[in-house]
Amino acid sequence: MKAIVLRAGVTVGLIAGAILAAIVISRAGMGSRDTANSGAATLTIRIAEHQQPRIDALNKAIPRIEKQLGVIIEVVEYPAPEKDYLSKLLTELGAGNAPDLFTANFDSDVPDMVSAGYLAPITAEVKAWDGYRQLFDVAKKLSTSADGQIYALDSMLLVQQLYYRRDLLDKAGISTAQPTSWKDLLDRAREIKAKTGKYALLLPAGISWGPGAFNEGFALFVPGSKTPQIANDDGSLNLNGEGVRDIFRLYKTLIDEDLMPIQPLLGPEPWMIPKYTMFPAGDLMVTTCGTWCYIYDWGKGSRNPVPEVTKNVGTWAVPGMDGGASVTISGSSPWAVNAKSAHLDVAKKVLLALCSVDAMVDYAGLIGNIPARKDAADNKDFQALTELVPVLENVQNGTFLRSAPGYSVVSEGVARATEALLRRQTDAAGAQAILVKYVNDLLGDNAVR
Amino acid sequence: MTMTYETRMVWQNRLLLAPALVLLACFILIPAGAAIYISFTNEALSGFAASHPQFVGLKNYVRLFSDAGFWNSLIVTFAFVFGSSIVGQFVLGLASALALSRPIRFRRVFNAAILLPNAVPEVVAGFIWISMLAGGQYSTLSRIVGLFGFAPQNWLESVPLLMIIVVNTWRGIAFAMILMTSGLSAVPAEVYEAARMDGATPQQIFWRITLPLLRPTIFLYMLVSTAGTIAIFGLIYTLTRGGPGGATEIIGIYIYNQSFTAYQLGYGSAVAVIMLGVSVAIGAVYARVLKVQV
Repeated sequence: MKAIVLRAGVTVGLIAGAILAAIVISRAGMGSRDTANSGAATLTIRIAEHQQPRIDALNKAIPRIEKQLGVIIEVVEYPAPEKDYLSKLLTELGAGNAPDLFTANFDSDVPDMVSAGYLAPITAEVKAWDGYRQLFDVAKKLSTSADGQIYALDSMLLVQQLYYRRDLLDKAGISTAQPTSWKDLLDRAREIKAKTGKYALLLPAGISWGPGAFNEGFALFVPGSKTPQIANDDGSLNLNGEGVRDIFRLYKTLIDEDLMPIQPLLGPEPWMIPKYTMFPAGDLMVTTCGTWCYIYDWGKGSRNPVPEVTKNVGTWAVPGMDGGASVTISGSSPWAVNAKSAHLDVAKKVLLALCSVDAMVDYAGLIGNIPARKDAADNKDFQALTELVPVLENVQNGTFLRSAPGYSVVSEGVARATEALLRRQTDAAGAQAILVKYVNDLLGDNAVR
Repeated sequence: MTMTYETRMVWQNRLLLAPALVLLACFILIPAGAAIYISFTNEALSGFAASHPQFVGLKNYVRLFSDAGFWNSLIVTFAFVFGSSIVGQFVLGLASALALSRPIRFRRVFNAAILLPNAVPEVVAGFIWISMLAGGQYSTLSRIVGLFGFAPQNWLESVPLLMIIVVNTWRGIAFAMILMTSGLSAVPAEVYEAARMDGATPQQIFWRITLPLLRPTIFLYMLVSTAGTIAIFGLIYTLTRGGPGGATEIIGIYIYNQSFTAYQLGYGSAVAVIMLGVSVAIGAVYARVLKVQV
């Protein structure tokens, strides 16, 4: 009897000891990291980054920053697709083990990350920074939240327009003049379809496209619609407006008249075929895009480039519904500091170092977005990026959408509404109803006005 | 106090079970309980609800029952389970077990060929099949059917549900074959001998002797395979991510999309709780049919 009890006790003791040892070892490991990190000379700042060109650009900037600040920077590579990157980042932020520094995908993601308590305010540091006065006004406005604080800093800007195959439209005898209205744009698309037999105009749409369905498609037409802003001053969302329905009607027309490709948009990575295959091959003539397309999608960074891209691919501003035109500017991957970072002060310094002209030009060269600083124009490496120089000069003339808490829900709602249009399940009013219902379900009935 | 032998054995068994119970509690029961609680809140990964989740009662469940996307994923899931697990894997697994129970040529080669897919990790298997099915005219399958005069297809876009059923069948035949083989080996040879002596044909032997005696094994396979197939995620996510247009959005992918793509942890948990109930109900039905004491 005693022997059996003794054996059982030993077994339980061994198991308990193993568990205790595991706990002690893991705590010891953390302790040694803390000890290592407490010394300024070996301080390690972890930065999240995704997509190989962005990682390459960051790796170019790191040696300068490490030397300047006397820190070690560790790049934590995240999944490439925007949606997967943000899902993983948000999960880690919620768990409290995210890196010290990271980017949001779009400005529209920032308000919700602020509401969740993930981002440290950086207002004082940014305004005291000597680069602040070099920022374009639009970058300052995009970086400033509704409460007047800065939580994420736009170091790069997305300048989005309509990109068209100038060479192929000229060859087909189709006018390449700036479309003057949505009707003119649609007529041009019908003419393209009739004369070339190719798809005329792509607007990102559908759930698979993720936030791009809103940020790279829908949002571009908002300034020229009857609902020029979605975020009201009181933070509510103007989604019941006629302008929103008109934009969905534009999508519906393109879908019903077979002016835009649909099948690829329903599959995974829906941009791959239209932007990387169809547009270079001339099977798609016009698409929304940003300056990155001149480098990353169809230019020197592309695996399927368009020859003489700046000559053969032209740009149109997005026409207004009844006239006028706009070029939408938004922040590209604004940098933010983890509110729970163990090294807040140093992380903020690294953030500002990543917003230097040199770092911005590193990113511009590999990705094709526009630096948010005026003095980037004087940088000789940027001057070599001839595709981007004229765009930088016109950044001040762009327009932008205000964002508000709940914007990421609007983004997902637009993806779902356009998905229903792609699958021919509804009309424009039905798409708007889907969007409004989705936002109301998640944010409450007072969110939408 | 002295213990009786029986009491000592009971305690000894409890102590032996303790580590497994601790692991079960830590990695199954507690997370399941947390998910059930979260399903009654509006917890999210981003936004105000991330930092201040509120108790919302049955709101997520009410939303779920009026969500066409949920019902679509449920239908897709049951079609997927029926097609791949109950029909595809079982029929081919049983056929393989019957064929390989005989002394045929290259038996070991066939055995290995059937077992290998099960050894391949889910995501790797997904990427292998992407090269087979994706890319339109450039896909391996399109090139193969092209040799017979058929037009190339975007297989994952034109017949996506059929394709994931085929892929999962390919991957799961081995498990079915192994179970059926062990079930067949438990059938006494004398029964077959007696049947042959009585003049039974091979078809009569199969339908009236083999299948009835395999019944416990079959239902055990159905129980395990159904539960496992409902929970599949990596293979389908790699292949199609639930598209095109939700055509292959099985429930695991739907839960992932709601929780980690739309950031609605509360709603995703509600869907997961419903599926937990469905899985438990299916398991109870099978167990009752099988009359297994768990």
